[in-house]
Amino acid sequence: MNQDGKRRWVAVVGNPNAGKSTLFNALTGLRQRVGNYPGVTVEKRTGTAFTLHGEAMELIDLPGLYSLNPRSPDEKIAWQVLHGESSGVPRPDAVLCVVDASNLERNLFLVTQVMELGLPVLVALNMVDVAEGRGIRLHPQDLGQKLGVKFIPTQAHRGKGLVELRAALGQTLAHPGPRQWTMPPPLAAAVGQIAAAWRESLPAELRAEGKALELLAGSNSGPEGAKKLAAAWRERFRKEAYDWSAAVVHARYSYLQTMLKEAGIGHGVSGGSWTDWIDAVVLHPVAGWGVLAGMMMALFISIFSIASYPMEWIDAGFSALALRLQGWMPPGILCDLLVDGVLAGVGGVVIFLPQILILFFFLGLLEDSGYLARAAFLLDRVMHPVGLSGKSFIPLLSSYACAIPGIMATRTVEDPKDRLTTILIAPLMSCSARIPVYTTLLAAAVPVALVPVWGKAAAMLGLYVLGTGSAFFLAWVFRKKMFGGGSPPLILELPPYRCPAFRTVALRMWERALIFLRRAGTVILALSILLWFVSSFPRSSGDESINLAGSYAGQLGHWLEPLIRPLGFDWRIGIGLVASFAAREVFVSTMSIVYHVGGEGEGLIQAMRTATWPDGALIYTPLTCLSLMVFYVYALQCLSTVAVAKRETGGWRWPVFMMIYMTGLAYLGAWLVQLVGHALGF
Amino acid sequence: MEENFLNLTQVGAGTEVRVSRLECPPTTCQRLREMGFCENALVRKIRGGADLVCWVCGTRVALSARLAKQILVEHVDGRS
Repeated sequence: MNQDGKRRWVAVVGNPNAGKSTLFNALTGLRQRVGNYPGVTVEKRTGTAFTLHGEAMELIDLPGLYSLNPRSPDEKIAWQVLHGESSGVPRPDAVLCVVDASNLERNLFLVTQVMELGLPVLVALNMVDVAEGRGIRLHPQDLGQKLGVKFIPTQAHRGKGLVELRAALGQTLAHPGPRQWTMPPPLAAAVGQIAAAWRESLPAELRAEGKALELLAGSNSGPEGAKKLAAAWRERFRKEAYDWSAAVVHARYSYLQTMLKEAGIGHGVSGGSWTDWIDAVVLHPVAGWGVLAGMMMALFISIFSIASYPMEWIDAGFSALALRLQGWMPPGILCDLLVDGVLAGVGGVVIFLPQILILFFFLGLLEDSGYLARAAFLLDRVMHPVGLSGKSFIPLLSSYACAIPGIMATRTVEDPKDRLTTILIAPLMSCSARIPVYTTLLAAAVPVALVPVWGKAAAMLGLYVLGTGSAFFLAWVFRKKMFGGGSPPLILELPPYRCPAFRTVALRMWERALIFLRRAGTVILALSILLWFVSSFPRSSGDESINLAGSYAGQLGHWLEPLIRPLGFDWRIGIGLVASFAAREVFVSTMSIVYHVGGEGEGLIQAMRTATWPDGALIYTPLTCLSLMVFYVYALQCLSTVAVAKRETGGWRWPVFMMIYMTGLAYLGAWLVQLVGHALGF
Repeated sequence: MEENFLNLTQVGAGTEVRVSRLECPPTTCQRLREMGFCENALVRKIRGGADLVCWVCGTRVALSARLAKQILVEHVDGRS
C-alpha cells in the first residue's frame, strides 16, 4: 500500500529488448486487464502482481525507451505516465527499471534519468545469463552502492530472480541517492538557477534538477519564473553555440563508463558469437531474402495445413450443435434464429480462430527470437526508395495480423510524415480478418482435389503480395508526391538472437483468442442476428430463396446490384459487401446466413459453387472469386480500423481519405480483373 | 584536420574506430548519442553495404548508409 492506504502503482521501464515485457508477463501472468498487441509494446498496459507477502500492486508496462527525452509518440506515452500526466493511471509510486545486463552502459543511461524523477527506483538486472555468456562479470551489490539504487539480478525468460524481485518490491523502496554524474560548468550554473526558482514547490533537490533539465529541453510544465529562466539560458547557449543536450549525454556516459570500469564490467565480445554467424546468412544481400521468403511461405503453409485439423473439429462441433438444436426445438422462428442466425454467423467466424492463432504464434516467435529487427533492416533497402524507413516495417508486419495494432505500432515511427504514410497504407496489408474471406473464396473458386496445399498457399501469398506491393506503391505516392521531403535515416538496434519465451508467445495468443472470441460473441453475434432478421423478413412464402429475394437484405442487394454487376457480383454478394462494412470476416457469416447453410464451412462452399444467375450461369466462377478477393485486398471494411486511425491522426480527415481511396481502389481493382479476364476469354 | 576524417561508410568491416563528430540534424544527433554514438565513443563496424551494422556500447545497431556518412570517425590508433 502507498501512503494514502491505496494499492501501489509501479511503472516498468527499460530500453527496447531489455526483456521488460517478458518480466512484466512473468510477474503478472494472466492478471493483465488491458490487451496488448504483437510487435512492440506501444500502449501502456497494466497488470496485478503480488509481493512475497501477498500484497497486490499494479504494474504499468511502458513502451521501450532509450531516454526520457521523448521524440516518438510511444516515448511520449511513457513520459506522460512517469510524470503523472496520463489519463486513467495515477502517478506511479515507484519505478522498476529493467536493464539488459549484457549492455549495461546504454541501459543505465536511462536509469540515471529515471533516478531524477523523484520516485523510488528498483533495478532488475535482467539477462544475467547472456552477460555471463559474453564474459561480463557482474556484481549487483557493488553496482547498487555506486549508483545509489538497489539491483536485483533476474532471468525473466527462465523465471529466475522473480522471488527476490517480489521480495524487494514488498519492501519500502528507497529514493535514489544523490546525482553521481558531474554536470559540466555552464550547464551546472543554468540548472542550479532554474532548480532554485522551482525548489520551493518541490520536495527533493534531485527532482528540481531533473525538472530544470526538462525545462531546458523545452517542457512547458512549471512555474513561470523557472520557465523564463530556462528560455533565457537556452537562448544564451544558442548564441554561444554550446550544445548543452550533447553535454548532458556526454556527462552521463562519461560517469557510467568510469563507474563500470571501476566495477570491472566491460562490453564483452561481439565477434564469433552465434548471433554473428546467423546474421551472416540472415542479413546477406541474397541469402537474407531467401530466408525471409522461406519464413513467409512456412507461415502460410502452416495456416493452411496445420490449422485445417482444429478447423474441422470446430466445424463438426457447430454442425453437431445445430443438429441437436433442431432435434430439441420445434421448427419455427426461434429455431431458425438460433441455427441460421446465431450458429451460422458466429460459427462461420469462430472456425478461423486456429488460423489466426497460428499467425500470432509466428509473429510472436519472430519478435521474441530477434528476427523481426533483422527483417526490418533487410526491408529498409526496399522501403527507402518509396520514402519510408525500415522502422515502418514492424507496424506493417503487425498489420498482417490486424491493422489496429499495426496503426498503433506506428507510434514508434519518429517522423510525422512517415508515420502518417504508414498509417494510410497499413490497412492494405492483408490482415487476419481477410483470411476467412480468402480461404472461402479460394475453396469456392477451385476444388480442393485439384490444388495441393502448397498451391493454395502460393495463391494466398499472391494476394498478400498484391496488397503489400500496392501499399509500397501508394507509400511512394503519399510520401514522395503528396507529403514531400526525404525518408528518415534508419537507426535500429539488432538484439542478440534468443530462444523465444514460449510463455510470452502463449500469453499473446491467449489475449488474441480472447479478443477474437469476444468480438465473435458481441459484434459478430449482434450483426448475425440483425442479418438473419433482415434476410428472413418480411416472409412471403415457404421457399427460402424467394423469401431471401424479397427480404429487406434482398431488397438492398437488388438495389446495389447494378452498381456491382460490372464486378461480376450479384445481389447476394452485395448483401455480404454491405454487411462486412463493419468487419471483413462478417462476409463469410453473411454468406452462411444468405445461403442458409447453418455454420458448415464445406456447406457454404458447395452452396456458393452451385449458386447461379437467373440465366443459369454460375456466379462464383474463378474470375468472379478472384475479382471478389481483389476487392477485399483493397477495401477498408473495418470500422475499428477507422476508429483507431481517427484516434492516431487526431481527426476525421485522414480516416475519411483512407476510406475513399481504399474503396475506390477496391472497385477499380475488381473491375479491372473482370475486364482483363473477359479480354483473355475467361 | 577536418578533411582527414573518414565517415563510417569508408572504414572496412571489422575495423574499430572512434567517433569524432556527428554532422546530422540535432534530433538525429541526440538519438545517436543516446544510443551510444557519442563523440569519442568506440565503434566497431561489423557489416558494410547499403545499410551497415555497428557494435557500440555492447550492442549491435543498424544504420542506413546515408546516416553513417554523417558520422565522422578516426582510427583508434590515430591513423586517418
